[in-house]
Amino acid sequence: MTGEAEGSERLADFGFQTVPEAEKAHRVQGVFSSVARRYDLMNDVMSLGIHRLWKDALIDWLAPWPGMRLLDVAGGTGDVAFRFLRRGGGSAVICDMTPGMLAEGRRRAEAQKLGGRLDWVCGDAMALPFPDRSFDACTIAFGIRNVTRIEDALAEAFRVLRFGGRFLCLEFSRVPDDMLRRLYDRYSFQVIPRMGALIAGDRDSYQYLVESIRRFPDQETLAGMIAAAGFGRVSWRNLSMGVVAIHSGWKL
Amino acid sequence: MSGEREAQGAEPPRPAFDPRMLEVLVCPVTRGPLSWDPERQELVSKGARLAFPVREGIPIMLVDEARRLDD
Repeated sequence: MTGEAEGSERLADFGFQTVPEAEKAHRVQGVFSSVARRYDLMNDVMSLGIHRLWKDALIDWLAPWPGMRLLDVAGGTGDVAFRFLRRGGGSAVICDMTPGMLAEGRRRAEAQKLGGRLDWVCGDAMALPFPDRSFDACTIAFGIRNVTRIEDALAEAFRVLRFGGRFLCLEFSRVPDDMLRRLYDRYSFQVIPRMGALIAGDRDSYQYLVESIRRFPDQETLAGMIAAAGFGRVSWRNLSMGVVAIHSGWKL
Repeated sequence: MSGEREAQGAEPPRPAFDPRMLEVLVCPVTRGPLSWDPERQELVSKGARLAFPVREGIPIMLVDEARRLDD
């Protein structure tokens, strides 16, 4: 399962396009390098501010305790890690593939005087640069969708967690209700890329974001993948009628 | 917004790499230990024969960004 997959001719989704696996990471990095500065602002606009509540819900479910050590994968600008510390967590490492996102996050951490309990590392979710069993919790919020091989990222999360550790994943998911889904699709494809063009001056990146959301596995499929990586007691909660879901698994 | 950042371009220099990070990090290829080369500002994985750069205090643990030690 830990395929290094070198020189493979395998293909990966990049939004609705199909690109060679080796290319996806660079493309994703391109997207986030170009949106880093305005990433959170765009999230606010696109989700009408609701992404903050979703991240709060993630931390609610995690229920941090003093001394808890968190790895936040794809944690870019520190949104999840800051909440974790404010809600009583111990320390956190933020690992992201895009240095620009990390630099932005660290700047904010320093501004909020949270820097001392946070470490910032540029790394790949599929090959984490951390020892086995070194974290109490591992979160990935709006990141797993961008990983080339989700299975490898799940296997890595499992590896770096201690026994009894918790994996939580916050990601866009599938709205079960047909009519709501149609409305949501229209909003996504008609409105979001235009807002991306207007606010971030970058239509293509936001086009990618909405396409990648539609290609991502639904709640049940993702739960099956998390279980296949070795996690136990896998469950999920839908938020905002299934626009996003939080999946949970334990390393038992 | 972006102009504001450029204006304060003279941010204080980043503190050098914190050696404490050596306990937190392993080589993403071998999962073995790393050593710190202060001269080149690199994290060296002898096992993988790779040197990972540290830029502005942030370790870049991506194989694509690492320098091969063979050459």
